[in-house]
Amino acid sequence: MTGILYHGQPNGPSFTVLAAAFEKGVDLERRPIDLVAGDRHSAALPHPIEVDQSIEGEGPVLVVGDVAMTDSVFLACYLDDIGTGPAIRPADPYARWQMMAWCRYVIERVAPAAAALGNAAAPPHTVPAGIASADLAARWTDAVEGEADATQLADSRTKIVQAVEKIEAQLADGRDWLMGDFSIADLESFAWLAGMRALVPQAFVASPRVDAWEARLRARPAVAQALGLATVPNPEAIWAPGPEINRWG
Amino acid sequence: MTDVTLYHWEPNANSGKPMLALFEKGVAFDSHYLDLLNFDQHRPDYLAVNPLGTIPAMTHGDKVLTESTAIMEYVNEAFDGPRLMPADPVDQWRARWWMKFLDQWLAPSFSMIGWSVFVGPSVRQKDPAELEAAIDRIPMPERRTAWRKAINGAFSPEEMTESQRRVGLGIGYLEAALVQREWLASGEYGLADINGFNLAYAMPLSQPQLCNDELTPNIMRWLRAIYARPATRACWALGRTDLARRISLLESEPA
Repeated sequence: MTGILYHGQPNGPSFTVLAAAFEKGVDLERRPIDLVAGDRHSAALPHPIEVDQSIEGEGPVLVVGDVAMTDSVFLACYLDDIGTGPAIRPADPYARWQMMAWCRYVIERVAPAAAALGNAAAPPHTVPAGIASADLAARWTDAVEGEADATQLADSRTKIVQAVEKIEAQLADGRDWLMGDFSIADLESFAWLAGMRALVPQAFVASPRVDAWEARLRARPAVAQALGLATVPNPEAIWAPGPEINRWG
Repeated sequence: MTDVTLYHWEPNANSGKPMLALFEKGVAFDSHYLDLLNFDQHRPDYLAVNPLGTIPAMTHGDKVLTESTAIMEYVNEAFDGPRLMPADPVDQWRARWWMKFLDQWLAPSFSMIGWSVFVGPSVRQKDPAELEAAIDRIPMPERRTAWRKAINGAFSPEEMTESQRRVGLGIGYLEAALVQREWLASGEYGLADINGFNLAYAMPLSQPQLCNDELTPNIMRWLRAIYARPATRACWALGRTDLARRISLLESEPA
Protein backbone atom coordinates (compact mmCIF):
# COMPACT_ATOMS: atom_id res chain seq x y z
CA MET A 1 0.00 0.00 0.00
CA THR A 2 1.54 3.28 -1.07
CA GLY A 3 -1.23 5.75 -0.34
CA ILE A 4 -4.92 6.50 -0.10
CA LEU A 5 -6.52 8.25 -3.05
CA TYR A 6 -9.78 10.13 -2.53
CA HIS A 7 -11.20 10.69 -5.99
CA GLY A 8 -14.36 11.58 -7.87
CA GLN A 9 -15.75 10.20 -11.13
CA PRO A 10 -12.98 9.66 -13.74
CA ASN A 11 -13.26 13.13 -15.27
CA GLY A 12 -11.02 16.19 -14.98
CA PRO A 13 -8.27 15.93 -12.36
CA SER A 14 -9.59 12.68 -10.85
CA PHE A 15 -9.17 11.06 -14.27
CA THR A 16 -5.56 12.25 -14.65
CA VAL A 17 -4.49 10.81 -11.32
CA LEU A 18 -6.36 7.51 -11.65
CA ALA A 19 -4.99 6.89 -15.13
CA ALA A 20 -1.45 7.90 -14.07
CA ALA A 21 -1.59 5.47 -11.14
CA PHE A 22 -2.66 2.63 -13.44
CA GLU A 23 -0.05 3.56 -16.08
CA LYS A 24 2.64 3.45 -13.40
CA GLY A 25 1.36 0.36 -11.63
CA VAL A 26 1.02 2.17 -8.31
CA ASP A 27 -1.26 0.22 -6.00
CA LEU A 28 -3.32 2.87 -4.22
CA GLU A 29 -6.14 2.33 -1.78
CA ARG A 30 -8.95 4.06 -3.65
CA ARG A 31 -11.70 5.81 -1.73
CA PRO A 32 -14.30 7.17 -4.16
CA ILE A 33 -16.00 10.32 -2.92
CA ASP A 34 -18.82 12.42 -4.35
CA LEU A 35 -17.11 15.67 -5.29
CA VAL A 36 -20.41 17.19 -6.45
CA ALA A 37 -21.94 16.57 -3.03
CA GLY A 38 -18.96 18.30 -1.40
CA ASP A 39 -17.45 15.17 0.20
CA ARG A 40 -13.99 16.63 -0.26
CA HIS A 41 -14.78 19.16 2.48
CA SER A 42 -15.94 16.59 5.05
CA ALA A 43 -14.04 15.76 8.21
CA ALA A 44 -13.25 12.33 6.76
CA LEU A 45 -10.40 13.94 4.78
CA PRO A 46 -7.36 15.74 6.17
CA HIS A 47 -7.43 19.51 5.65
CA PRO A 48 -3.95 21.02 5.44
CA ILE A 49 -3.51 24.14 3.31
CA GLU A 50 -2.54 22.02 0.30
CA VAL A 51 -6.00 20.42 0.33
CA ASP A 52 -8.07 23.45 1.27
CA GLN A 53 -6.30 25.97 -0.98
CA SER A 54 -5.58 23.75 -3.98
CA ILE A 55 -5.71 25.83 -7.16
CA GLU A 56 -7.43 22.93 -8.88
CA GLY A 57 -10.65 23.22 -6.85
CA GLU A 58 -12.50 19.93 -6.51
CA GLY A 59 -9.67 17.57 -7.42
CA PRO A 60 -8.48 14.31 -5.90
CA VAL A 61 -6.47 14.05 -2.68
CA LEU A 62 -3.62 11.56 -2.27
CA VAL A 63 -2.61 10.81 1.31
CA VAL A 64 0.84 9.28 1.79
CA GLY A 65 1.83 8.83 5.42
CA ASP A 66 0.89 12.09 7.11
CA VAL A 67 1.06 14.18 3.93
CA ALA A 68 -2.07 15.01 1.91
CA MET A 69 -1.23 15.94 -1.68
CA THR A 70 -3.31 17.67 -4.38
CA ASP A 71 -3.11 19.11 -7.91
CA SER A 72 -3.33 16.39 -10.53
CA VAL A 73 -0.31 17.14 -12.73
CA PHE A 74 2.00 17.19 -9.73
CA LEU A 75 0.40 14.05 -8.32
CA ALA A 76 1.07 12.41 -11.69
CA CYS A 77 4.73 13.57 -11.47
CA TYR A 78 4.90 11.99 -8.01
CA LEU A 79 3.39 8.73 -9.27
CA ASP A 80 5.88 8.77 -12.14
CA ASP A 81 8.70 8.94 -9.59
CA ILE A 82 7.50 6.16 -7.33
CA GLY A 83 5.80 3.79 -9.80
CA THR A 84 7.43 0.96 -11.73
CA GLY A 85 5.57 1.31 -15.04
CA PRO A 86 7.07 3.03 -18.11
CA ALA A 87 7.89 6.72 -17.65
CA ILE A 88 5.07 9.22 -18.21
CA ARG A 89 7.44 12.19 -18.40
CA PRO A 90 10.23 12.68 -20.94
CA ALA A 91 13.75 12.18 -19.55
CA ASP A 92 15.38 14.94 -21.61
CA PRO A 93 15.23 18.29 -19.77
CA TYR A 94 14.02 20.28 -22.78
CA ALA A 95 11.33 17.73 -23.63
CA ARG A 96 10.35 17.78 -19.98
CA TRP A 97 10.12 21.59 -20.09
CA GLN A 98 7.85 21.25 -23.13
CA MET A 99 5.60 18.89 -21.21
CA MET A 100 5.45 21.04 -18.08
CA ALA A 101 4.80 24.19 -20.14
CA TRP A 102 2.04 22.34 -22.02
CA CYS A 103 0.46 21.19 -18.76
CA ARG A 104 0.70 24.71 -17.38
CA TYR A 105 -1.27 25.92 -20.41
CA VAL A 106 -3.94 23.29 -19.75
CA ILE A 107 -4.04 24.08 -16.04
CA GLU A 108 -4.23 27.83 -16.48
CA ARG A 109 -6.32 28.28 -19.63
CA VAL A 110 -8.21 25.10 -20.51
CA ALA A 111 -9.16 23.71 -17.10
CA PRO A 112 -10.90 26.87 -15.80
CA ALA A 113 -12.81 27.17 -19.08
CA ALA A 114 -13.89 23.51 -19.07
CA ALA A 115 -14.91 23.65 -15.41
CA ALA A 116 -16.95 26.82 -15.99
CA LEU A 117 -18.76 25.27 -18.96
CA GLY A 118 -19.24 21.92 -17.22
CA ASN A 119 -20.70 23.49 -14.09
CA ALA A 120 -22.97 25.75 -16.14
CA ALA A 121 -24.32 22.71 -18.00
CA ALA A 122 -24.69 20.50 -14.92
CA PRO A 123 -24.83 22.71 -11.84
CA PRO A 124 -24.40 21.19 -8.38
CA HIS A 125 -27.53 21.32 -6.21
CA THR A 126 -26.20 22.88 -3.02
CA VAL A 127 -23.11 24.57 -1.68
CA PRO A 128 -21.51 22.10 0.73
CA ALA A 129 -20.71 23.10 4.29
CA GLY A 130 -17.15 23.49 5.45
CA ILE A 131 -15.41 25.02 2.41
CA ALA A 132 -12.32 26.67 3.82
CA SER A 133 -11.43 28.79 0.78
CA ALA A 134 -13.68 31.81 0.30
CA ASP A 135 -12.92 32.02 -3.41
CA LEU A 136 -13.73 28.32 -3.95
CA ALA A 137 -16.94 28.81 -1.93
CA ALA A 138 -17.83 31.71 -4.21
CA ARG A 139 -17.36 29.50 -7.29
CA TRP A 140 -19.69 26.94 -5.70
CA THR A 141 -22.32 29.60 -5.01
CA ASP A 142 -22.10 30.89 -8.58
CA ALA A 143 -22.39 27.34 -9.93
CA VAL A 144 -25.38 26.42 -7.78
CA GLU A 145 -27.19 29.65 -8.54
CA GLY A 146 -26.42 29.46 -12.25
CA GLU A 147 -24.66 32.82 -12.02
CA ALA A 148 -22.17 32.10 -14.78
CA ASP A 149 -21.19 35.27 -16.60
CA ALA A 150 -22.21 35.13 -20.31
CA THR A 151 -18.98 36.84 -21.39
CA GLN A 152 -16.89 34.35 -19.43
CA LEU A 153 -18.81 31.40 -20.89
CA ALA A 154 -18.31 32.72 -24.42
CA ASP A 155 -14.61 33.23 -23.68
CA SER A 156 -14.45 29.72 -22.22
CA ARG A 157 -15.89 28.23 -25.41
CA THR A 158 -13.23 30.14 -27.36
CA LYS A 159 -10.55 28.68 -25.09
CA ILE A 160 -11.83 25.15 -25.78
CA VAL A 161 -11.84 25.77 -29.55
CA GLN A 162 -8.26 27.08 -29.29
CA ALA A 163 -7.16 24.10 -27.21
CA VAL A 164 -8.49 21.62 -29.78
CA GLU A 165 -6.75 23.61 -32.54
CA LYS A 166 -3.53 23.54 -30.56
CA ILE A 167 -3.68 19.77 -30.11
CA GLU A 168 -4.59 19.27 -33.78
CA ALA A 169 -1.52 21.34 -34.74
CA GLN A 170 0.71 19.49 -32.28
CA LEU A 171 -0.29 16.17 -33.89
CA ALA A 172 0.17 17.48 -37.45
CA ASP A 173 3.53 15.77 -37.95
CA GLY A 174 1.89 12.38 -37.53
CA ARG A 175 2.96 11.73 -33.96
CA ASP A 176 0.76 9.53 -31.77
CA TRP A 177 1.13 11.54 -28.56
CA LEU A 178 1.45 15.22 -27.74
CA MET A 179 5.06 15.10 -26.60
CA GLY A 180 6.09 12.30 -28.99
CA ASP A 181 6.12 9.62 -26.33
CA PHE A 182 2.99 9.16 -24.23
CA SER A 183 3.03 11.48 -21.20
CA ILE A 184 1.10 13.27 -18.49
CA ALA A 185 0.31 15.95 -21.09
CA ASP A 186 -1.95 13.48 -22.93
CA LEU A 187 -3.78 12.53 -19.74
CA GLU A 188 -4.24 16.09 -18.50
CA SER A 189 -5.41 17.39 -21.90
CA PHE A 190 -7.93 14.57 -22.32
CA ALA A 191 -9.06 14.95 -18.69
CA TRP A 192 -10.43 18.44 -19.30
CA LEU A 193 -11.50 18.08 -22.93
CA ALA A 194 -13.41 14.77 -22.80
CA GLY A 195 -16.58 16.48 -21.61
CA MET A 196 -16.28 19.33 -24.10
CA ARG A 197 -17.37 17.29 -27.12
CA ALA A 198 -20.97 17.55 -25.92
CA LEU A 199 -20.73 21.14 -24.66
CA VAL A 200 -18.62 22.77 -27.39
CA PRO A 201 -19.25 20.54 -30.42
CA GLN A 202 -18.07 23.27 -32.79
CA ALA A 203 -14.53 22.74 -31.49
CA PHE A 204 -14.48 19.21 -32.86
CA VAL A 205 -16.02 19.59 -36.34
CA ALA A 206 -12.68 19.47 -38.15
CA SER A 207 -10.31 17.74 -35.76
CA PRO A 208 -9.50 14.34 -37.27
CA ARG A 209 -6.13 14.08 -35.51
CA VAL A 210 -7.67 14.94 -32.13
CA ASP A 211 -10.36 12.33 -32.73
CA ALA A 212 -7.76 9.65 -33.54
CA TRP A 213 -5.61 10.71 -30.55
CA GLU A 214 -8.59 10.38 -28.23
CA ALA A 215 -9.36 6.93 -29.65
CA ARG A 216 -5.73 5.85 -29.09
CA LEU A 217 -5.90 7.21 -25.56
CA ARG A 218 -9.13 5.40 -24.74
CA ALA A 219 -7.58 2.18 -26.05
CA ARG A 220 -4.77 2.26 -23.48
CA PRO A 221 -5.44 -0.32 -20.77
CA ALA A 222 -4.72 2.14 -17.95
CA VAL A 223 -7.09 4.73 -19.41
CA ALA A 224 -9.81 2.13 -19.92
CA GLN A 225 -9.27 0.95 -16.36
CA ALA A 226 -9.63 4.50 -15.02
CA LEU A 227 -12.75 5.20 -17.08
CA GLY A 228 -14.12 1.83 -16.02
CA LEU A 229 -14.29 3.05 -12.43
CA ALA A 230 -17.18 5.35 -13.34
CA THR A 231 -20.39 4.63 -11.47
CA VAL A 232 -22.45 6.70 -13.91
CA PRO A 233 -22.89 6.21 -17.68
CA ASN A 234 -21.17 9.49 -18.65
CA PRO A 235 -18.47 10.47 -16.17
CA GLU A 236 -17.34 13.28 -18.49
CA ALA A 237 -20.65 15.05 -17.76
CA ILE A 238 -19.99 15.17 -13.99
CA TRP A 239 -18.49 18.45 -12.78
CA ALA A 240 -17.80 20.22 -9.52
CA PRO A 241 -16.25 23.71 -9.29
CA GLY A 242 -12.73 23.71 -10.64
CA PRO A 243 -9.91 26.25 -10.94
CA GLU A 244 -10.92 29.89 -11.15
CA ILE A 245 -10.80 31.87 -14.36
CA ASN A 246 -7.72 34.09 -14.33
CA ARG A 247 -8.66 37.31 -12.53
CA TRP A 248 -6.49 39.31 -14.95
CA GLY A 249 -8.67 38.12 -17.85
CA MET B 1 31.41 32.37 -24.02
CA THR B 2 28.02 31.04 -23.09
CA ASP B 3 25.17 29.55 -25.07
CA VAL B 4 22.53 30.75 -22.62
CA THR B 5 20.73 34.08 -23.04
CA LEU B 6 18.08 35.29 -20.64
CA TYR B 7 15.65 38.00 -21.69
CA HIS B 8 14.41 39.62 -18.52
CA TRP B 9 13.28 42.78 -16.76
CA GLU B 10 14.13 43.59 -13.15
CA PRO B 11 15.10 40.85 -10.68
CA ASN B 12 11.53 40.80 -9.48
CA ALA B 13 8.48 38.56 -9.93
CA ASN B 14 8.64 36.37 -13.04
CA SER B 15 11.88 37.76 -14.48
CA GLY B 16 13.76 37.22 -11.25
CA LYS B 17 12.89 33.53 -11.00
CA PRO B 18 15.10 32.14 -13.80
CA MET B 19 17.70 34.86 -13.11
CA LEU B 20 18.17 33.72 -9.52
CA ALA B 21 17.99 30.04 -10.47
CA LEU B 22 20.82 30.56 -13.00
CA PHE B 23 22.93 32.41 -10.40
CA GLU B 24 22.34 29.69 -7.79
CA LYS B 25 23.21 27.03 -10.30
CA GLY B 26 26.39 28.86 -11.31
CA VAL B 27 25.39 29.04 -14.98
CA ALA B 28 26.95 31.90 -16.94
CA PHE B 29 24.43 33.66 -19.17
CA ASP B 30 24.10 36.65 -21.41
CA SER B 31 21.75 39.07 -19.73
CA HIS B 32 19.39 40.80 -22.15
CA TYR B 33 17.54 43.47 -20.18
CA LEU B 34 14.11 44.45 -21.49
CA ASP B 35 12.53 47.61 -20.13
CA LEU B 36 8.97 46.53 -19.38
CA LEU B 37 7.91 50.14 -18.83
CA ASN B 38 9.19 51.05 -22.28
CA PHE B 39 7.36 48.07 -23.85
CA ASP B 40 10.63 46.52 -25.08
CA GLN B 41 8.96 43.11 -24.76
CA HIS B 42 6.54 43.88 -27.58
CA ARG B 43 9.11 45.07 -30.11
CA PRO B 44 9.81 42.98 -33.22
CA ASP B 45 13.31 41.90 -32.19
CA TYR B 46 11.98 40.34 -29.00
CA LEU B 47 8.82 38.96 -30.61
CA ALA B 48 11.16 37.10 -32.94
CA VAL B 49 12.42 35.28 -29.83
CA ASN B 50 9.09 34.94 -28.01
CA PRO B 51 6.08 35.63 -30.23
CA LEU B 52 3.80 35.89 -27.18
CA GLY B 53 5.75 38.90 -25.92
CA THR B 54 5.86 37.64 -22.34
CA ILE B 55 8.89 38.09 -20.11
CA PRO B 56 11.09 36.21 -19.30
CA ALA B 57 12.35 33.98 -22.09
CA MET B 58 15.55 31.98 -22.24
CA THR B 59 17.50 30.58 -25.13
CA HIS B 60 19.90 27.67 -24.69
CA GLY B 61 21.68 27.00 -27.97
CA ASP B 62 18.82 26.86 -30.45
CA LYS B 63 16.20 26.02 -27.83
CA VAL B 64 13.74 28.70 -26.73
CA LEU B 65 12.01 28.48 -23.35
CA THR B 66 9.24 30.55 -21.76
CA GLU B 67 7.11 30.31 -18.58
CA SER B 68 9.31 31.30 -15.66
CA THR B 69 8.57 28.40 -13.32
CA ALA B 70 8.98 25.81 -16.07
CA ILE B 71 12.26 27.52 -17.09
CA MET B 72 13.52 27.15 -13.52
CA GLU B 73 12.86 23.40 -13.57
CA TYR B 74 14.76 23.22 -16.87
CA VAL B 75 17.69 25.18 -15.44
CA ASN B 76 17.81 22.81 -12.51
CA GLU B 77 17.79 19.70 -14.70
CA ALA B 78 19.88 20.76 -17.69
CA PHE B 79 22.96 22.15 -15.92
CA ASP B 80 25.47 20.97 -13.36
CA GLY B 81 25.57 22.71 -10.04
CA PRO B 82 23.71 22.47 -6.75
CA ARG B 83 20.41 20.62 -6.84
CA LEU B 84 17.49 23.06 -6.55
CA MET B 85 14.69 20.51 -6.23
CA PRO B 86 14.54 18.24 -3.18
CA ALA B 87 15.49 14.59 -3.66
CA ASP B 88 12.37 13.18 -2.03
CA PRO B 89 9.35 12.79 -4.39
CA VAL B 90 6.89 14.09 -1.76
CA ASP B 91 9.07 17.16 -1.19
CA GLN B 92 9.24 17.66 -4.97
CA TRP B 93 5.45 17.56 -5.10
CA ARG B 94 5.32 20.17 -2.31
CA ALA B 95 7.76 22.45 -4.14
CA ARG B 96 5.57 22.31 -7.26
CA TRP B 97 2.37 22.82 -5.25
CA TRP B 98 3.75 25.98 -3.68
CA MET B 99 5.07 27.34 -6.97
CA LYS B 100 1.64 26.89 -8.57
CA PHE B 101 -0.09 28.44 -5.56
CA LEU B 102 2.25 31.43 -5.72
CA ASP B 103 2.09 31.75 -9.52
CA GLN B 104 -1.67 31.46 -9.88
CA TRP B 105 -3.17 32.71 -6.63
CA LEU B 106 -0.86 34.96 -4.67
CA ALA B 107 1.32 36.56 -7.37
CA PRO B 108 -1.60 37.85 -9.46
CA SER B 109 -2.94 39.61 -6.36
CA PHE B 110 0.43 41.17 -5.58
CA SER B 111 0.88 42.21 -9.18
CA MET B 112 -2.56 43.80 -9.35
CA ILE B 113 -1.55 46.00 -6.42
CA GLY B 114 1.94 46.53 -7.86
CA TRP B 115 0.64 47.50 -11.28
CA SER B 116 -1.84 49.95 -9.84
CA VAL B 117 0.73 51.69 -7.61
CA PHE B 118 3.88 51.35 -9.75
CA VAL B 119 3.53 50.19 -13.35
CA GLY B 120 0.41 52.20 -14.19
CA PRO B 121 1.67 55.54 -12.81
CA SER B 122 5.12 54.92 -14.35
CA VAL B 123 3.83 54.70 -17.90
CA ARG B 124 0.82 57.00 -17.62
CA GLN B 125 2.77 60.16 -18.38
CA LYS B 126 3.73 58.92 -21.82
CA ASP B 127 2.04 60.34 -24.92
CA PRO B 128 -1.48 58.76 -25.10
CA ALA B 129 -1.27 58.02 -28.83
CA GLU B 130 2.13 56.41 -28.37
CA LEU B 131 0.77 54.37 -25.44
CA GLU B 132 -2.23 53.20 -27.44
CA ALA B 133 0.04 52.13 -30.29
CA ALA B 134 2.26 50.29 -27.84
CA ILE B 135 -0.72 48.43 -26.38
CA ASP B 136 -1.97 47.50 -29.84
CA ARG B 137 1.34 45.74 -30.47
CA ILE B 138 0.81 43.37 -27.51
CA PRO B 139 0.21 39.90 -28.98
CA MET B 140 -1.92 38.35 -26.21
CA PRO B 141 -5.44 39.79 -25.76
CA GLU B 142 -5.26 39.06 -22.02
CA ARG B 143 -2.17 41.21 -21.69
CA ARG B 144 -3.72 44.04 -23.70
CA THR B 145 -6.64 44.09 -21.25
CA ALA B 146 -4.30 44.05 -18.27
CA TRP B 147 -2.15 46.90 -19.60
CA ARG B 148 -5.19 49.03 -20.37
CA LYS B 149 -6.50 48.47 -16.85
CA ALA B 150 -3.13 49.30 -15.29
CA ILE B 151 -2.63 52.44 -17.33
CA ASN B 152 -6.15 53.72 -16.82
CA GLY B 153 -6.15 52.81 -13.14
CA ALA B 154 -9.25 50.77 -13.92
CA PHE B 155 -8.97 47.92 -11.45
CA SER B 156 -12.33 47.94 -9.66
CA PRO B 157 -12.50 48.47 -5.89
CA GLU B 158 -13.82 44.89 -5.62
CA GLU B 159 -10.80 43.54 -7.50
CA MET B 160 -8.38 45.51 -5.32
CA THR B 161 -10.16 44.45 -2.12
CA GLU B 162 -10.02 40.81 -3.21
CA SER B 163 -6.32 41.13 -4.03
CA GLN B 164 -5.60 42.66 -0.63
CA ARG B 165 -7.62 39.88 1.05
CA ARG B 166 -5.50 37.27 -0.73
CA VAL B 167 -2.25 39.03 0.11
CA GLY B 168 -3.23 39.03 3.79
CA LEU B 169 -4.14 35.35 3.75
CA GLY B 170 -1.14 34.42 1.65
CA ILE B 171 1.27 36.03 4.11
CA GLY B 172 -0.35 33.92 6.83
CA TYR B 173 0.04 30.74 4.78
CA LEU B 174 3.70 31.49 4.09
CA GLU B 175 4.40 32.13 7.77
CA ALA B 176 2.62 28.89 8.74
CA ALA B 177 4.68 26.90 6.22
CA LEU B 178 7.92 28.46 7.42
CA VAL B 179 7.04 27.64 11.04
CA GLN B 180 6.96 23.99 9.98
CA ARG B 181 10.05 23.93 7.78
CA GLU B 182 13.32 25.80 7.38
CA TRP B 183 12.58 26.41 3.70
CA LEU B 184 9.25 26.75 1.94
CA ALA B 185 8.85 23.23 0.57
CA SER B 186 11.39 21.10 2.42
CA GLY B 187 14.52 21.15 4.53
CA GLU B 188 16.55 22.27 1.52
CA TYR B 189 16.77 25.61 -0.25
CA GLY B 190 15.40 25.38 -3.77
CA LEU B 191 13.14 26.56 -6.55
CA ALA B 192 10.10 27.12 -4.32
CA ASP B 193 12.19 29.53 -2.22
CA ILE B 194 13.52 31.28 -5.32
CA ASN B 195 9.97 31.64 -6.60
CA GLY B 196 8.68 32.84 -3.24
CA PHE B 197 11.50 35.30 -2.67
CA ASN B 198 10.83 37.03 -5.98
CA LEU B 199 7.27 37.55 -4.87
CA ALA B 200 7.91 38.33 -1.22
CA TYR B 201 11.23 40.16 -0.84
CA ALA B 202 9.60 43.58 -0.66
CA MET B 203 6.64 42.53 1.51
CA PRO B 204 8.05 44.07 4.70
CA LEU B 205 8.00 47.39 2.81
CA SER B 206 4.79 47.04 0.81
CA GLN B 207 2.76 45.29 3.52
CA PRO B 208 4.46 46.47 6.74
CA GLN B 209 1.31 46.05 8.82
CA LEU B 210 1.09 42.36 7.85
CA CYS B 211 4.71 41.32 7.39
CA ASN B 212 7.21 42.30 10.08
CA ASP B 213 9.52 40.84 12.76
CA GLU B 214 6.75 40.68 15.31
CA LEU B 215 3.92 39.16 13.28
CA THR B 216 5.84 37.04 10.79
CA PRO B 217 9.26 36.24 12.28
CA ASN B 218 9.67 33.15 10.11
CA ILE B 219 9.04 35.00 6.86
CA MET B 220 11.58 37.60 7.98
CA ARG B 221 14.12 34.88 8.87
CA TRP B 222 13.56 33.23 5.48
CA LEU B 223 13.85 36.48 3.49
CA ARG B 224 17.05 37.50 5.30
CA ALA B 225 18.57 34.05 4.79
CA ILE B 226 17.90 34.22 1.05
CA TYR B 227 19.17 37.80 0.85
CA ALA B 228 22.41 36.68 2.51
CA ARG B 229 23.18 34.24 -0.31
CA PRO B 230 25.86 35.41 -2.77
CA ALA B 231 23.69 34.42 -5.72
CA THR B 232 20.92 36.72 -4.52
CA ARG B 233 23.32 39.66 -4.21
CA ALA B 234 24.70 39.04 -7.70
CA CYS B 235 21.23 38.69 -9.16
CA TRP B 236 19.80 41.84 -7.62
CA ALA B 237 22.85 43.80 -8.77
CA LEU B 238 21.37 43.47 -12.28
CA GLY B 239 18.41 45.59 -11.23
CA ARG B 240 18.21 49.09 -12.68
CA THR B 241 15.23 50.65 -10.89
CA ASP B 242 14.00 51.44 -7.41
CA LEU B 243 11.98 48.24 -7.62
CA ALA B 244 15.08 46.08 -7.20
CA ARG B 245 16.65 48.46 -4.67
CA ARG B 246 13.83 47.69 -2.25
CA ILE B 247 15.78 44.56 -1.37
CA SER B 248 18.15 46.61 0.81
CA LEU B 249 15.49 46.71 3.52
CA LEU B 250 16.51 43.13 4.30
CA GLU B 251 19.82 44.47 5.59
CA SER B 252 18.01 45.49 8.76
CA GLU B 253 18.47 43.36 11.87
CA PRO B 254 15.51 41.60 13.48
CA ALA B 255 13.68 44.05 15.74
